[in-house]
Amino acid sequence: MRSQEGIVFLKRPNKKKSLWLRIKQNRIAYYFIAPTALAMLFLHLTPILQGIYMSFLNLNQMTLQYYLLAPFVWFENYYKVLIDPTSPVRIGLFEAVRNTVIYTVVVTMGTLGVGMIVALMVHRKFHGQSLVRALFLFPWIVPTYVTGLLWGVMWLKEGGLVNVLLVDWLHLLPYKPSWLTGVNTIWAIIIPTIWRFWPLSMLMLLAGLQTIPEELYEAADIDGAGPWRKFWMITWPMLRPVWFILILFGLIYNTYSFNIVIMMFGFGAGFPGEWGDLMMTNIFRNSFQLWNFGTGAAASVLLLIVMIMIVNVWFRYFKKTEEMQ
Amino acid sequence: MPYYLRKRIIDIIISIIMLIFLGLTLLPVGWMIFSSLKSSSDIAIGRVGLSRNLTGQVEVHWDNYVDMWKNVNFGLYLKNSLIICGSTMFLAMILSTLAAYALSRFKFPGSDLFSNTILATQMIPAIMYLIPLYIMFVKFTIMTGIPIKGTYLGLILIYSAFFVPFSIWILRGFFASIPKELEEAARIDGCSPLQVFWYIALPLAKPGIIATGIYLFLQAWDELMFAWVLTNGDTMTIPVGIRLFVGNYQNRFDLMMAAATVATIPVVVLFFMLQKHIVRGLTAGAVKG
Repeated sequence: MRSQEGIVFLKRPNKKKSLWLRIKQNRIAYYFIAPTALAMLFLHLTPILQGIYMSFLNLNQMTLQYYLLAPFVWFENYYKVLIDPTSPVRIGLFEAVRNTVIYTVVVTMGTLGVGMIVALMVHRKFHGQSLVRALFLFPWIVPTYVTGLLWGVMWLKEGGLVNVLLVDWLHLLPYKPSWLTGVNTIWAIIIPTIWRFWPLSMLMLLAGLQTIPEELYEAADIDGAGPWRKFWMITWPMLRPVWFILILFGLIYNTYSFNIVIMMFGFGAGFPGEWGDLMMTNIFRNSFQLWNFGTGAAASVLLLIVMIMIVNVWFRYFKKTEEMQ
Repeated sequence: MPYYLRKRIIDIIISIIMLIFLGLTLLPVGWMIFSSLKSSSDIAIGRVGLSRNLTGQVEVHWDNYVDMWKNVNFGLYLKNSLIICGSTMFLAMILSTLAAYALSRFKFPGSDLFSNTILATQMIPAIMYLIPLYIMFVKFTIMTGIPIKGTYLGLILIYSAFFVPFSIWILRGFFASIPKELEEAARIDGCSPLQVFWYIALPLAKPGIIATGIYLFLQAWDELMFAWVLTNGDTMTIPVGIRLFVGNYQNRFDLMMAAATVATIPVVVLFFMLQKHIVRGLTAGAVKG
């Protein structure tokens, strides 16, 4: 406070300084970001621009040797991906899009929900608090490829833990369902992903819970608010910045989910089936097993466009509701 | 019923639910370790418990942890993973520490553009990089004869570039939490900006840098898609190599679970050693909003 005026006074002339002078004064900052900028130029920007360009090329196993000089076919790849019903790229594409939408929404909401409930449970005072919190983080440390392999074994029809638990021990189902074929597959990929990622939500939400001042709850107690009401009127709105970030990253990472699904079916070799295939596994198969690089690039460009729109919508929604508050 | 008693009972009920849920959460990990001690035929026929041998003793197949190194060349994959992830960690941490410091301390023309670009890279699907990078690497090798695909260097460079944006994002929070006054005082005492960075900022941010580095290591340890396409038989990392236990010639789920357990151990050890720092680093950014 005491020096605030001084800083304002000192900073003001800064704005009038020429661009060149400001660049010169911050020379050291440019040295510091130069290596990163260089790395990102070569390994982010160059591939991305090439990827966009490749989506206009007829690039497959035959024309791979021509690299960027492969035949330029304008929007043919996009036509093949979006419109042409006979193109081989389209096989399973609709299912992959549908599964990705279901998967992303359910996993994002599921991780947030489970994380919230557990965060509220461990936010109390009890013996062994730090141990319990640490143990809850365990699934999040298990590598995702191990998660895929592990749940692949757990979903096995005979002798898999899930069927043993549901059928043999708890008798909840009359027969042993097969989880890795048919419609069940979508649950077989959603549940492990939630299992792997909810601890991160819990961690973030718990950190958020600890910043909420206790007085708010005391005031609500005096007003006679119940726990349900207190949660929705105080806790949830106060955690806004946390769940904003969690949903944002959840939408992005789950749309691009790959490891868990690819490892679960045939342990990296098999096809996830029409209820287990996701966009990333679909594009990966098209690109690196069927060698249709052009259409693969086109599909990933489309995916990026959709992602930019989703992120924009989420930002706008967040800003709009922020003004309302 | 008096108020405090009711509250106490509710508290106990919540604790019980919490412990049951904790058990369910840890169950899959337990199942992984349990499965790694079974025989491969037990898993194949779907026997739930461990089988008994002729004398009626329970057979615990500790030998799976010996066989897994012989059945496929798991030692090589472990070595590759350690080399690639370790080098990635060092290289990426050098890059991101410098960049994060510059972003948190200097307001320079282009700083907003730079930090926005860093966030924007997180939106781009990995496969969009992978297709051009793969073709670039193949073409480069055809043209110059220098192999990149299937070498450590190719993967280390790519991993470093890819994990740098997220590390910058976390590290910025750490640098921002160091009081600026210390650095200003050092400047007045005659330190150059470089000395300030080296003698003041770096030691103070050390816990954060270590934590971010470990997190980066875990990320690289977990990467499959790039490694799958850009490695060969000699440079395969664990996620690529572990698939070989099950395939055309064999179905050794028991060995695969043993290998999965072994692949998880370093990660668990690292994480719990530095749990406090990692948690602080990850949550700092989110809570500030």
